[in-house]
Amino acid sequence: MGRLAATLGLLLAVGQGICGEASFTEYQVKALFLFNFAKYVEWPAEAFASTTSPIVIGVVGDNKFGDQLKKAVDGKSIGGRPLLFRQIEKDDEMAGCHIVFVSASETKRLPDILERLKAKPVLTVSEIERFVEQGGVIGFVKRQDRIRLEIDLDAAQRARLQLSSKLLSVADTVRGKR
Amino acid sequence: MNINCEKFGNRVGLLRWVGAPITAFNAAVVRNAGLFHLCCSPVLIFGLLLADPFTASAAESSAPSVSDSRDISLEDLVNIKVTSVAKKETTLEDSPAAVTVVTQDDIRRFGITTLPEALRLVPGMDVARINSHEWAVSARGFNSEFANKMLVLIDGRSVYTTGFGGVIWGMEDVVMEDLDRIEVIRGPGGTLWGANAVNGVINIITKSAKDTQGGLISTSFGTEDQPSTVARYGGQLATNLYYRVYVKYFNRDGLVESTGADAPDPWSGTQGGMRLDWEPSEQNKLTLQGDYYSHRANENQSIPSLAPPFAQTSDVVNHDSGGNLLGRWTHDFSEHSSLSVQTYYDHFHPEQIGVKYTSDTFDFDAQHRFALGSRNDVVWGAGYRYISDKLDPSFYLSFNPPDQREQLFSSFVQDEVTLVPDRFKLTAGSKFEHNDFTGFEIQPSARLLWTPAEPHTLWASVSRAVRTPSISEMDERVNFQVIPPAGAAPPVLVSSFGNPDLESEELLAYELGYRVEPTKRCSLDLAGFYNEYARLIAGVPGAPQFDPGPPPHLVVPTINENAGRAQSYGLELSGRWDVTDWWHLAGSWSWFEVHSPVGGIPWGASPEQQFQLRSSMNLPGHLEFNSALFYVDQIQAPYGTGQIAIPSYVRLDVGVVWHPLKSLELGVWGQNLLDNRHPEFTSYKTPLITEVPRGVMAKITWRF
Repeated sequence: MGRLAATLGLLLAVGQGICGEASFTEYQVKALFLFNFAKYVEWPAEAFASTTSPIVIGVVGDNKFGDQLKKAVDGKSIGGRPLLFRQIEKDDEMAGCHIVFVSASETKRLPDILERLKAKPVLTVSEIERFVEQGGVIGFVKRQDRIRLEIDLDAAQRARLQLSSKLLSVADTVRGKR
Repeated sequence: MNINCEKFGNRVGLLRWVGAPITAFNAAVVRNAGLFHLCCSPVLIFGLLLADPFTASAAESSAPSVSDSRDISLEDLVNIKVTSVAKKETTLEDSPAAVTVVTQDDIRRFGITTLPEALRLVPGMDVARINSHEWAVSARGFNSEFANKMLVLIDGRSVYTTGFGGVIWGMEDVVMEDLDRIEVIRGPGGTLWGANAVNGVINIITKSAKDTQGGLISTSFGTEDQPSTVARYGGQLATNLYYRVYVKYFNRDGLVESTGADAPDPWSGTQGGMRLDWEPSEQNKLTLQGDYYSHRANENQSIPSLAPPFAQTSDVVNHDSGGNLLGRWTHDFSEHSSLSVQTYYDHFHPEQIGVKYTSDTFDFDAQHRFALGSRNDVVWGAGYRYISDKLDPSFYLSFNPPDQREQLFSSFVQDEVTLVPDRFKLTAGSKFEHNDFTGFEIQPSARLLWTPAEPHTLWASVSRAVRTPSISEMDERVNFQVIPPAGAAPPVLVSSFGNPDLESEELLAYELGYRVEPTKRCSLDLAGFYNEYARLIAGVPGAPQFDPGPPPHLVVPTINENAGRAQSYGLELSGRWDVTDWWHLAGSWSWFEVHSPVGGIPWGASPEQQFQLRSSMNLPGHLEFNSALFYVDQIQAPYGTGQIAIPSYVRLDVGVVWHPLKSLELGVWGQNLLDNRHPEFTSYKTPLITEVPRGVMAKITWRF
């Protein structure tokens, strides 16, 4: 079994090396996106206690990432701030996060969650249908087996977040005032 | 890394119904990269199969790690194709059956415009064109115009006609561009698919409305098509609610006679339909689809009569029509458990040899799949079908009684047991049916899959399948031929009579298969079978009887009886080879023999050997060069009350496809280039044998 896995792993590594297209799972890609958002988003100064306070990425609802999100952020720092993953158990923990990922399991509670985070410096991200229309900042949309982004600048502005133009340039849809 | 790794990929599934990822023999979901792969990667075709996660745990060990991938840029992240491990997926190599899939890419590259022509690409399938609108299609023998040993489904709806006992291929059509794939399983599918899947199952699956968004207009014209057009539009009504509507018009020339003159069989028709797909939540999928069509088929027919001249040969126009409405709901309880419910209504109205036939079918089916422990994957289901048939008789053909009703109750259960993980898997189950004619039928089957070492897979199976007699075999009288009076003797009427006491035909099938992928770029698939048929239905000559009429005549009857036994065996070999990144070869060879110990009753007409080689090339300038070579052995085809030899033929098709714009595709194909014309089969309706001519076809497809 171990040999089988190793052979598969080798085949994939070779395949990846030449082709550059690897067979990531959906949540691995979403985890990598969340890691990148920490790089390409600027929070207002009051979002952090000190210059070395961590950037906290919280997941509210079912954790479909497994350990992939934790692995994506482990040991990495951005601008001197370490990255931290937190599974949100109680809603009042959300305010302590800088990025909140709302899982599809929370679809019914979405209005409450967004209400809670209104005007807080939190980057809200989700895979829920029509997330940006409902007030979220970044929505994940699956198109032709790829994960694409929809961004709402008005929501970002309300949260006092600065999104890098690099991030905006790869999004499928950017709504709101630039 | 921005190498354009464009795969003409297709997810392939051995699914019982469209879109429902339910275990058939196995829920074999194959990452089959169609015919083509522009990337130089070894992650190709079956190579990609190996790389794909078999199980959830393998997914983690074989998928790349995020910790090593944090340098991937945003531009690359938005382009990564993600695999979905939401459903249990196994590869084609895990399937203990002889399976071939015809992909949308195959259909597009070879300019295939009808369903039977797409089936030519499958090893072991006999596809013979009778005239412009009729084909004889079967697998593993018994081919005839009304070949009755295969189950054919379009999006889960059976298109087998009980009244004629076969599939009228000319009446079954889809928008070829919206076809997702055709799965052909050779061998008995009785366990899951029920009676009449004796020699195999053909599962024709169209794309979901979500995958056919936008507009499509396609026109083809040439020496045979003149012109034929399809227009389709797909859109979105609401979140997760997608639709498509289409309309299709075709006009095909007749084929040719042996002299080269045009045969009297031009064929035209209109078809329209719609499909709605709705995913109200991640766990629920609903589909509603329907079609309606109306055709005009010209043909030559020869109808006997008891008055001089005793046979009336004429060119007639038959108006065939039909429509259907199908709904399906799939609910996923969890990763390993789902429920699928389907219901459909089908109205079918062909006209042939002066006869008008109407068949109305109502079908209801439910299926539940769940995991039992960690080693068992169980599927079970139940179904009900109601068929109402009416025949407006003619002298040639009549039913007794003229109105028929049939009810069919069925249920099945199948368990896929992992005996030794990654080594031995056993799939065993049975279907239980009750129908109005033959009562209870049981169709058990056992299949074993063995993976001794990495690139090799072996499988073996034993199955019992039955074919219930059709209304045409039980209650139909056919007056074939009148032999004119000679001297004082009266005319002789050759007739076949149905027999309401018929039992089901039975098949005991033993199959063996082997698959290997020696390198990432090539693979081989070998399947062998030995079939024992019992109680085959055939016309047995009876004692001639005098009928005073008027007019007085002598009746020479044949009566349908479960008279026959036969053994057949054969081999089917197919292979694929990526010669280079832009040149792909696929080929197959099949061999078939049938023996019947009961006095040489011909069991259909199938060639002993068939061979095909297909080459696909992607050339610079968005050009494709595709060619296919077919060889079909000679056959003894039914002719009148005897047979006639149809010689072997070689067919070469060559095509060039060009994509000048992303939205525009132009194609030109030369078909049957090596021959002026050749016959492939005969028709029961007329002594005239129509031949397939050399032809040219061009097609323009515009997507917007």
